[in-house]
Amino acid sequence: MCEPQDYAPLPDRDGFVTRSILSMSSVLARLRLDDGAETRLSPSAPAKLVGTIVLIMLTSLARNYLFVLIMLAAVLVRAAFLPRHALARTAATASAAALVALVLMLPAALLGQPRSAITLATKALVTTGLAMEVALTTPSAQLTGALRAFLVPNVVILTVDLALRSIVRLGEAALEVLTALQLRSVGRNTNKQGSMGGVGGVVLVKAARAAQDTSDAMRCRGFEGSYDLQATWRPRLSDALWASMLVAVIALFIVLQRQV
Amino acid sequence: MHIPENYLSPSTCAVATVAMVPIWATAVRKVRESVPREKMPLLGVAAAFCFLSMMFNIPLPGGTTGHAVCGTLIAILFGPWSAVIAVSIALAIQAVFFGDGGILALGANCLNMAFVLPFVGYAVYGWLKGHLGGERGEVLAAGIGSYVGLNAAALCAALEFGIQPLLFTDAAGNALYCPYPISVAVPAMLLGHLTVAGLAEAGFTMGILSFLRNTVPSFGIEGKESDDKAVPALALVGALIAATPLGLLATGDAWGEWGLEDLAQMVGYEPAGMATGWEWNSLMPDYAIGSLPEWIGYILSAVIGAALLIIIFRLLAGMAKPEVNFD
Repeated sequence: MCEPQDYAPLPDRDGFVTRSILSMSSVLARLRLDDGAETRLSPSAPAKLVGTIVLIMLTSLARNYLFVLIMLAAVLVRAAFLPRHALARTAATASAAALVALVLMLPAALLGQPRSAITLATKALVTTGLAMEVALTTPSAQLTGALRAFLVPNVVILTVDLALRSIVRLGEAALEVLTALQLRSVGRNTNKQGSMGGVGGVVLVKAARAAQDTSDAMRCRGFEGSYDLQATWRPRLSDALWASMLVAVIALFIVLQRQV
Repeated sequence: MHIPENYLSPSTCAVATVAMVPIWATAVRKVRESVPREKMPLLGVAAAFCFLSMMFNIPLPGGTTGHAVCGTLIAILFGPWSAVIAVSIALAIQAVFFGDGGILALGANCLNMAFVLPFVGYAVYGWLKGHLGGERGEVLAAGIGSYVGLNAAALCAALEFGIQPLLFTDAAGNALYCPYPISVAVPAMLLGHLTVAGLAEAGFTMGILSFLRNTVPSFGIEGKESDDKAVPALALVGALIAATPLGLLATGDAWGEWGLEDLAQMVGYEPAGMATGWEWNSLMPDYAIGSLPEWIGYILSAVIGAALLIIIFRLLAGMAKPEVNFD
């Protein structure tokens, strides 16, 4: 034991395991269901969803640039107060959307219509920003439930809900198995590629078990997959504020549309 | 003091921009070393103060207007290198989105307002603070420092304007760019800044600094608290945004910021370089939207500019590596 040991691990190719772990982690980081955080002033999820879709439609239909700029100011102010991770994701997605719109409209700009390119890019920035802000400030379970406000069939909502949860649960399981494979492969393991099939198999078995567990849990709680909005939605004071703000924005939209 | 597009020759703009490159690089390195990650959002709020104070136009003797910059204030709160970054980003937003100051002249504007102003102001503040002592002494030193800093920046801008007719003329002897020589530009710029604009800068700096020292003592690089304690500072940003239309009370252009037609009327000819120069079409030129009342455009610009600055500095904070001491 007192003798110094020269241990040099044999060269081994495990890049694909590391890459799989990294890509799985990045997908999971984006899909974490506890991302949305509500504040005291947040309206309820159905009100927020309906209102945001109305605002997105108004921004898309606006012919008066002032309306788009007012919406831009509102989106920027809200974004300035987002948590850091949510802000980074919103900024990245919204600016990418605006950039794509600008590139698509480049021919128009080159033909002497730079204004339309700027207008479209601003609209893309505002609408994507609005969608991201709602997605990142609302717990996703509430968001899927709020889809009932648009008369989306129960089975669709249940499928979306279960799919989102399953992706996260099974992703975590796959990550654990991949980490286990990497740990077992310390030194040299020539049979890693063969084990990758096992990773898929383990995840499949876990998925089957998870589906059975979900079914049992639903039966225990008397939940048969129907989302009753009236039973779960309690209007809040913030909903009234949100609604009055929405009415004011619609009025502003009508007034400004007439001025064009 | 925002030098517009084509008032300086492209070569002058290039020299100023090249001079700014090492300054910006050093500023980024110094800010990364000295400003903690959790303080970066506060730097964004300070940059918003700077952006908003530049929107308050004040009538100056001679029918022109001027404005405060608050670069010395940021230098006092976060250090002069942070002021270089904050004022530069504020100036870039003004140039790109609102057409206030030229895109080509951004390097020259940054040299005057983001480098000379905060460094001179901070040096005078540091020297005076040591002699005066006490809290009131610090505020007084900040006022005097910001006054001297603004005038130093105005002198630099005047010299940049003034060397144009010396260096760039056509065959007939007419100036290609800014037509006023140093003997006209320096007195014209300094008259307004030594009297009204300098005092406004000192008033802004002393007022905001006293407010922050009394309500948010941790606002600045030395405090230990994070950005969630900055509510009074954000309230002050909101109040300044609401008050920005006051900047419209001052009519007339700032010295050296006239449109081409106005300038042609004053000197009797259109400088050729200015008439054929490149110009950027900004989103809201002069903080205005079409034929709508100016105050709406002013408030909207203030909101967009302040929110953009806070977002940019919060994103920069996210990109900075967290400091972990393993010892």
